[in-house]
Amino acid sequence: MIRNLMHASPFLLFFALLVAAFAPDSAHAIPAFTRSYKVECSTCHTIFPELNEYGDAFLKNSYVFVSKVKKTAKDTEPPPAPIAKAVTIPKPVASPAAPVGASPDIQGAGDDELLRKLKNGAMTTTETAEPAQPPAPEATLSAVETPQPAGEQKSEGLLLSAIPEQLPISFTGALNIVYDNKAVNEFDFSTRAFKLHAGGHFRETVGFFATYVAYSEQPPASTGNTSVISTNNKTDLTEFFVSWRHLLDTPVNLKVGRMQPKLGLWKTNNKLSVTNNYLPYTYTVGGQSTGQQSVFRIDQTQDALELNSILGKRFFVAVGAVNRKGQNSKEGYGHVSYKFGGADYLANEPEIDLAKEESILDFLTINIGGYGYVGKNGSANSNDPKNSFYRVGLDSELLYKSLRLRLLGGYGDDDKVDTIAVNQWTRVISKSGTIEAEYALRSNLLAACRYEYLQQVASPQKQGFSDQYIRRYIATVGYNPYENLKLVAEYKYELVTSAINRLGTLGLTFGF
Amino acid sequence: MKRLSLLVALIIIVTVSLSEARIKTKGRGEKMNFDADSIQESFKPTFNLMSVKCIKCHTMERVVIAVQTGRAPITGQPFNKQAVKAYGIKMLRKPNSDMDKKEIRDIVVFLNYVLDENQK
Repeated sequence: MIRNLMHASPFLLFFALLVAAFAPDSAHAIPAFTRSYKVECSTCHTIFPELNEYGDAFLKNSYVFVSKVKKTAKDTEPPPAPIAKAVTIPKPVASPAAPVGASPDIQGAGDDELLRKLKNGAMTTTETAEPAQPPAPEATLSAVETPQPAGEQKSEGLLLSAIPEQLPISFTGALNIVYDNKAVNEFDFSTRAFKLHAGGHFRETVGFFATYVAYSEQPPASTGNTSVISTNNKTDLTEFFVSWRHLLDTPVNLKVGRMQPKLGLWKTNNKLSVTNNYLPYTYTVGGQSTGQQSVFRIDQTQDALELNSILGKRFFVAVGAVNRKGQNSKEGYGHVSYKFGGADYLANEPEIDLAKEESILDFLTINIGGYGYVGKNGSANSNDPKNSFYRVGLDSELLYKSLRLRLLGGYGDDDKVDTIAVNQWTRVISKSGTIEAEYALRSNLLAACRYEYLQQVASPQKQGFSDQYIRRYIATVGYNPYENLKLVAEYKYELVTSAINRLGTLGLTFGF
Repeated sequence: MKRLSLLVALIIIVTVSLSEARIKTKGRGEKMNFDADSIQESFKPTFNLMSVKCIKCHTMERVVIAVQTGRAPITGQPFNKQAVKAYGIKMLRKPNSDMDKKEIRDIVVFLNYVLDENQK
């Protein structure tokens, strides 16, 4: 039966993609940011949750819509004069007979229309104070009343309270069908997760974000490489932080809470694949026995305090301290990245001379980032020596038209990883790398292929510690018939130290 | 009498030129678009290009309202010549936008023309 299914699976996959290909092309997605800003998911995502460069800018600016800051390529021509009529605010006139310090006499019944216009003007960022009216058919452009742009219109009460107008909560769900050649149940349908997200900002001063895994499940004895699943396989608050933007009128943002420290260029879910996180971000060192191992991973969420800043629009820097539960000493990290070409970190478009012929540089964007992390871990309340470790890494991304190329490299050093022998520890050097190419066949159909490598070697060679090697080849196709719904088919061929794993996944992810 | 005649002639000329300058729209909601009849002949190929390529990702209503209001309808950002150029560059660089630099340049010039007409 299984063999039949295996033979049938390529056809099932093809059929699924064929059905998907004829599904509607576009729709309005509705998670929190879409609701709040009234923009499509594709404003910030290629296929969600993978970010495009505008989504990256949005993230770096603590969930404030960065194009509100400023748009754009330079132009020598002056902007056209505002088309909206200016509203003159009449000053209240006190009665000449009124005593000093007394309240001025307010005369007349008031002007409800003027009050409405004034409030309308106060609640929007535009000088426009005309009422929103759809233009009549056949109307001339200059003759119609100006419809109000969506922007961010709020009631006065909500504005003063700094409360987001829309409840900033979203839900995401993931359902995966996994084929594992080594599992007893080769085809497993039980991998699923349901998460709640909250995100937004309070009057553009404080950004916030939270992710709560409401439910998750995966097959028993899974290989544990399913990124949609919480690592503890139960309910968990995986992210919960606030970011005070432009601290004391400086370009520095202060971020506090449970977060993924800014190390690599991409957050865990910023990729096309639904199952395989980048190996340099996810591996742990050692684990040869039940005793001590270095459980640190680049992409794990931690209780941290981070200062970050965008400098000169194209340079991003972050430094932070991490508090690890059960130990007094703090850990530290730093990140720098720079972007050549493309929109800058504030989402301003690059300056391109449209009068000139097309050039490679018009479409080329290179983003380079480096990071370092220093920490110490070990068994709490134990006399075992603590493991001091560090990680450094270099990431880069190249964008050219529909092609996206990602390169990741990491190096780690753990000075006390346990061995099978009792009270024996060894130093382990780890090296990892990933190269991934992704191509947009259509705006809602992406294909990617990836090669990953990891080696962990005891240094000096220690008896009782087996060196480890992993090589992965991963192919992924992602399609979103609707912007809030993603279908992914992927296949992983993995060579580990003493085994070969073959995993296929058909994943459905959606948000609302 | 001669002065009066000149004044009347001037008023007629200004009125006629203004009424010809305005770009009309037609349709409502997602079907809203500029009225092709009111677009200068030399810009019609570009307008037709826009009506085919831009609607792959968004409606023409979005463009019409941006021109009418001077604000991008979704972001509320100013929609002036500077912004038009930036949007043009964004669309040029957008994967699968299927527009080359010349087409983008033509569209930017067309939108500048429409913005100018809207100011008259």
